[in-house]
Amino acid sequence: MDVIRLAPETIRTRRALDGWNEPRIIPLAHPPDRGAGTLLCVLRRLLFHSLLFLLGLGLGLLGPWVWWLDREAGRRFADRQWTQDSRVYARPLELYAGQALDLADLVVELEHIGLRSGDPTRPGRFARSARRVELHAPAFPFPDQPQAAQRVRVDFEGDRVQGLSDAAGRSLSLVRLPPAELGELLPTGSDERSLVRLADFPPLLVTGIQAVEDRQFRHHHGVDPRGLLRAAWANLRRGGVVQGGSTITQQLVKNLFLSPERSLVRKFNEAVMAISLERRFSKGEILEAYLNEVYLGQDGAQAIHGFGRASEYYFGLPVQSLAPEQIALLVGMVRGASWYHPVRNPERAMTRRNQVLAQFRDTGLISPTEHDRLRERGLELSRSDQRRQRPNAAFLELVARQLRQDYHDEDLRGTGLKIFTTLSPSAQRAAERGLADALRRHERQPGELQGAVILVEPSSGEVRALVGDRQAERRGFNRALDARRSIGSVIKPFVYLQALAQPERYSLVTPLMDAPIEVPIEGDEPWRPSNYDGTSHGEVALMDALAHSYNQATVGLGMELGLPGLFRLLEQLGVDPGPARHPSAFLGALSLTPLQVAQLYQPLAAEGYSTPLRSITQVVDAEGREIGRYPMRLRPIREDGALALLDFALRHAVTDGTARSLPALLHDDPGVRGKTGTTNDRRDAWFVGYTRDWLGVVWTGRDDNAPAGVTGAATALPVWAEVFNALPSRQLNRQWPESLEWFWIDWPTARLANEQCPNARAIPFIAGSNPTELSDCFEPASTSRRRRGRNR
Amino acid sequence: MNRKSIQPILRFSLAIGLVALISACATQAPAPTENRSLAEQVRAPAAEERSGLQVYPLRNPAVTELTEAALAAEQAGDLDQATLLLERALRIQPRDPELLQHMAEIRLERGEWEQAESFAGRSFDVGPRVGEICQRNWRTMALARERLSRYDEAADARERLQACQIEPPTRL
Repeated sequence: MDVIRLAPETIRTRRALDGWNEPRIIPLAHPPDRGAGTLLCVLRRLLFHSLLFLLGLGLGLLGPWVWWLDREAGRRFADRQWTQDSRVYARPLELYAGQALDLADLVVELEHIGLRSGDPTRPGRFARSARRVELHAPAFPFPDQPQAAQRVRVDFEGDRVQGLSDAAGRSLSLVRLPPAELGELLPTGSDERSLVRLADFPPLLVTGIQAVEDRQFRHHHGVDPRGLLRAAWANLRRGGVVQGGSTITQQLVKNLFLSPERSLVRKFNEAVMAISLERRFSKGEILEAYLNEVYLGQDGAQAIHGFGRASEYYFGLPVQSLAPEQIALLVGMVRGASWYHPVRNPERAMTRRNQVLAQFRDTGLISPTEHDRLRERGLELSRSDQRRQRPNAAFLELVARQLRQDYHDEDLRGTGLKIFTTLSPSAQRAAERGLADALRRHERQPGELQGAVILVEPSSGEVRALVGDRQAERRGFNRALDARRSIGSVIKPFVYLQALAQPERYSLVTPLMDAPIEVPIEGDEPWRPSNYDGTSHGEVALMDALAHSYNQATVGLGMELGLPGLFRLLEQLGVDPGPARHPSAFLGALSLTPLQVAQLYQPLAAEGYSTPLRSITQVVDAEGREIGRYPMRLRPIREDGALALLDFALRHAVTDGTARSLPALLHDDPGVRGKTGTTNDRRDAWFVGYTRDWLGVVWTGRDDNAPAGVTGAATALPVWAEVFNALPSRQLNRQWPESLEWFWIDWPTARLANEQCPNARAIPFIAGSNPTELSDCFEPASTSRRRRGRNR
Repeated sequence: MNRKSIQPILRFSLAIGLVALISACATQAPAPTENRSLAEQVRAPAAEERSGLQVYPLRNPAVTELTEAALAAEQAGDLDQATLLLERALRIQPRDPELLQHMAEIRLERGEWEQAESFAGRSFDVGPRVGEICQRNWRTMALARERLSRYDEAADARERLQACQIEPPTRL
């Protein structure tokens, strides 16, 4: 409640005011007694004088009291600063012809925006048929350009948007839908408001509220004596309070400054302050404040103030998009928001709404025919209980953390910021469902496993979805951000990247030795890593050692390169791995969060351009002014050739290596690259996979870090596949860096072949790093010894 | 039926229109070089020398709409708005060399030399690597590197710029 507590001096003044009443009453109660003695006479005179003194004191204080009320009303109204929750929005969906988008996914997005099935001639509704969605998007004040409500027809062909057109059938090239609201950032607790400017309220609401609450509003000076008399007369006739007689200004004063108690003193204060407001401020300012302040019910513990918030709460629509009968319902609720509550007391609310509609008709705001038509409409509430469950809590936490890097909490709380983020509601849903469904299928005991999923658009680094719990709506430990877990073989690509960045020493076909290895540890027993399957594989090509995730070959390679180099590389990619100690780090014995793992893989998926992962694009203040911008930033990774080779090797891991079960699980494999990871005793399972459009990181394991019977390929990979299958995907179209040259290799030896060789494979090399030795099958007569190309 | 046959033509003409628009801003205002904006310095010579092989990808009309709005915002001096519009376009086509190069030029205008160089480099990586866009890529990188006092690398970029000019293959 926005009741401002009266200061102590106010209370003192009030007592003085009460004293002002006493002298008038007491002398009447004690008429003078002439037959008393002198003492009595003196006493009486003393009493009389003191009463006279009190009367004077009271009268003398009334003037200052009125003066003080007048000044306070003006000052408090001018200084009032309503706390508004900071709101967080998803990325707005942009529709265009040719877009990869399912009809079902569009419906999910529309429902998140708050649209619902119905007649699309009305704002906030959509209608779907087999291959078409007709929608009426409500208006939205985008910071770059406010957007009016618009009707759009979206035609689908398969899982693509075939075309867009407006209501008149004219073709549209681009439609930006309003963003879904994700919830509040740091909720303020008790109040909920969304401030709306007077000009932005629908005209029927502005005139309608006056018709019902205060018909003389335009003409009176804060109090309306005629209205008061009329109310008094009505109350007298019916023997009870049936009419209020308060003007809109008085109601505003009461709501803003005074306590709800009913007394003559309060009534007096209210009238003085109302006249004071009218003297100092325009009718428009007063009405705007009233429309934003009036109490319209409760959302749990939070009071709903103003028509803006009420409209969103009861109908899921911005106030601009309300239909006339919806306006009438809310206007009717002003008289008693809980008495006429449309959910708890629907019949009462309906009767009251129809009374209001009749008043609209009687005052000429709507025509009699329109009145008859509107009366027939149902209440059609669209309250979503989503807000209370706090969906997207995991993502909102990331948003809050990234904001805290630039703002103080008090700047974020209650200042009405609008925060535009990168979340895609349909991708978020895919990630939540994929994790929940796949875990249920792949765990030993129901509910044993937990998990986290992060989806990123690689080239911009925008986080599209983030799940930190298999029960996504649950608030609490956010595993995507906070679970620091051993990353296992997910580290290996970076060991190999270090190698490939030295093309004079290593290429994808460089033979590595996968054999028992002993690493001396200072002050401890030597370390003897073993392979996952317990066997050593002898001489293997570098690309195979990575794809099959051989531990001994990797440690051997790592020891040639050194641990500090690996840690420097991780830092360069934007992740602090902590101090480097034990060579087991080559096998991923270091703990990172799923978000950090996504940051490590981002430049790989983005073809060598690193960018910090971000969840926020823009922050605007309550007045719509931009106060923060988080533009896309790119940083080229120097080793782009090595990254491209690694990318090629990670495709090999999916077609031939530890992730080879993946293609069979996908509806469509546009050339996914990926890496599995499993830690000691099967405690953690990871899968990182990417295409040009999506980078996905999945972690699964137990919260208590006990052996969980999970593996990257058997647990995390199916989650990833489940999520990816629900995403719109585009074709992979890799542009290889200029520095690469392609050769036919007699796989898996490090010898040149030609196209006709039975084991010939085209392998990329950084210029000059290719082997020169010829394979036995090589025929010098062959025309194409060497194949160069960029596109493949 | 009709719409299907018209669309490719429409797209093509939009693409042509865009190229015309970009070159128009170069040829219509023959301001002396020192007065030209950095973005114009990048675009103008490339448009003037447009004789070699040119590769223009067909544009999505949505991207065209956003690019044209970005160009208008840029000419009105509202670089923030231009950036915002180009980011929206890049969300639709993240690997469009023309968009990436346009973003590089806006960053150049804003004095964000490193970002200008990065976006131009990325545009070259995913782009045709010949023709006008290639020239704009390397001209941007050269200008950005000069501003960053990396003169040797700037000279490299100027050299690379020459290699963008490839004579079109003679067709029979």
